[in-house]
Amino acid sequence: MYFEPNEVQQAILDAVAALLEQYAGPARAIELAAKQEYDFALDAALEEAGFTDVALGEESGPLEAALISEAVARAAGVVSSGAAALVATGLLGRKVPGPVALAMRGQSGPVRYAAHARTLLLADGDVARVVPLEPGDVERVPSGYGYPMGRIAPGAFASGEQLEPGSAARLLDWWRLALACETLGTMQACLDVTVRYLSARRQFGRAIGSFQAVQHRLAECAVQVEGTRWLVREAAWHGAPAERAATVAAYAADAAAQLFRETHQLSGAIGFTREHDLHAWSMRLQPLRLELDGVAAQRRALALERWGTAR
Amino acid sequence: MEFGWQEQDERFREALVAFVDETLPADWGEVSKGGPGSEAQAAFSREFCARLAERGWLTPHWPAEYGGRDASAWQHAIIGEELWSRGEPRGPQYMNVNWIGPTIMQFGSEAQKREHLPRIAAGDVLWCQGFSEPEAGSDLVALRTLALRDGDDYVVNGSKIWTSYCDHADYCFLLVRTDPESQRHHGVSILLMPMDTPGVEIREIPAVVGEKYFHEVFLSDARVPTASRLGPEHDGWSVVSYALQYERVGAPRYQRAARTLDRLADLARERGRLDEPAVQEQLGRARAICEAARVLSYRVLDLRERGLPPSADSNVARVAGTLADRTVGELALELLGEDALESGSFADANFRMSMTAGVAVGATEVQLNLIAGRFLGLPRE
Repeated sequence: MYFEPNEVQQAILDAVAALLEQYAGPARAIELAAKQEYDFALDAALEEAGFTDVALGEESGPLEAALISEAVARAAGVVSSGAAALVATGLLGRKVPGPVALAMRGQSGPVRYAAHARTLLLADGDVARVVPLEPGDVERVPSGYGYPMGRIAPGAFASGEQLEPGSAARLLDWWRLALACETLGTMQACLDVTVRYLSARRQFGRAIGSFQAVQHRLAECAVQVEGTRWLVREAAWHGAPAERAATVAAYAADAAAQLFRETHQLSGAIGFTREHDLHAWSMRLQPLRLELDGVAAQRRALALERWGTAR
Repeated sequence: MEFGWQEQDERFREALVAFVDETLPADWGEVSKGGPGSEAQAAFSREFCARLAERGWLTPHWPAEYGGRDASAWQHAIIGEELWSRGEPRGPQYMNVNWIGPTIMQFGSEAQKREHLPRIAAGDVLWCQGFSEPEAGSDLVALRTLALRDGDDYVVNGSKIWTSYCDHADYCFLLVRTDPESQRHHGVSILLMPMDTPGVEIREIPAVVGEKYFHEVFLSDARVPTASRLGPEHDGWSVVSYALQYERVGAPRYQRAARTLDRLADLARERGRLDEPAVQEQLGRARAICEAARVLSYRVLDLRERGLPPSADSNVARVAGTLADRTVGELALELLGEDALESGSFADANFRMSMTAGVAVGATEVQLNLIAGRFLGLPRE
């Protein structure tokens, strides 16, 4: 075990950070969110730099793809990098035309990135399907939670290439990992922006962030973020085995609720405004923690994997 | 970054588990109920640790010159995980090998190293820790126990509190104030005091967490040779800081919590409750919390293995470990219901062990202070 980036990983992290500095960030995310648009420019830049097939490289794999996906989320990127670079590659061993959306058959609620997706990866009972989406398959859904959303027409659920029996479980494993990975980057940014604000903001003649009551709550948030970080990276390195994937999804969904609650509470009224960056990340924590049927489902999936509690 | 075990570490774990399984007595569950400080367990530890030492498994992470075999921090962690999760058959001696020995290695005189390290490595000596005082708990530097020079001795007066294991201990790792005019962390020193020193008296403090868990140690004109001082006079705080960074990672509580949780799942299955969604959710939630504590502890081991200075990562790991212990302790009561209330029940024993998690070895609030300052860089006022 070794917890620091090696040379290859550091090079990837540096390169993706430089790219995100140029293309992403809260201002860009807020601008796109207002129009419910997808960031095709960022997607193209990531593709061109080779960041979408890092999971399939000779010197890199799912861990490196997870590091990229974490960084993209931390920079509030409006791209389906988790689904494209982690889930599609993990499930299929190849890339698919992006943007990529993930759904379960019959899912009636809005799906992140579906409105712009060219490929839908679908969990359909025991099998996974790779569905090329056509115009008319998806209806745009207005949503104020930081992602462009779409509702998939029931007809689209029945089409596409069907993978082997058992493939749905593998899709869910990679999906859980990618979800936790995006949650991680998003939570980290929420914590960063809150720590920065509370270190500068003064009331009662001192920085708010110097009050112990505030410090303890932020420290507890940091514990949640760090726990998610190392669980995500460990699970990615192992290739998203079912129990580890369910573990990190369950943990991240819990952590997301706490990070949302605490960063907003501690930021006060400014945190609710569009003039402060927190919302560019914080609002995303809600769809992230609701995905895949939410925290209760992740916890039950973990119990099932660990103790075989088939019902 | 990579997160795999080395093959030799995996083989080591297998061999250790096989040894432990064949060495622990059939009534180990009964023996270990009172915790590492109980009469039965302290006595058993002398026999068990001697056998571990024969195999080189008591202090494998120590340098060869002190009776170790230069093994990695990971092998030491494996020993901690497998033994602590089984109720710690090393008894109080886990402290010896985790931090008392390494601190003597770092700061001890040649004579002190010769006197103490071989005995610790052989597994037949018990130590206790004399840090907290009635007026110096979380605020340890408020300590008042005074050790004044008189010829070649210090004459020690004062008292220590919450001291575990001292009723069996041969030595105390004693923190004293050697400069009576000093304040806070200045003017303190460490003494390696034999517990049979005249003037040392022990009183058990009855506690709900277990019998013989806490004690008060009274020191009345106890004479300790100046040659038993560890490290520089008046600058013992540097020694304590070194010891604490090793101690704070402490026992792998996450592993005991995870093992307890597996047993709880078995009990839920036996009672036909494992198919209940609410039970699955509780178990799954607790499992994720245990896993986070585990990987965060590994993060700290990685820093140690690479010889890096201690960071606030160890405080993060401690908070996570406490949460794991508490979550499982409470869940044990909830899942077993009122059956848990019978003295000595599985849930009762685990709940009591978990009660001290957030207080022992530095309160959670102190850990959170350190995370806020050192990890998040929040301002002081």
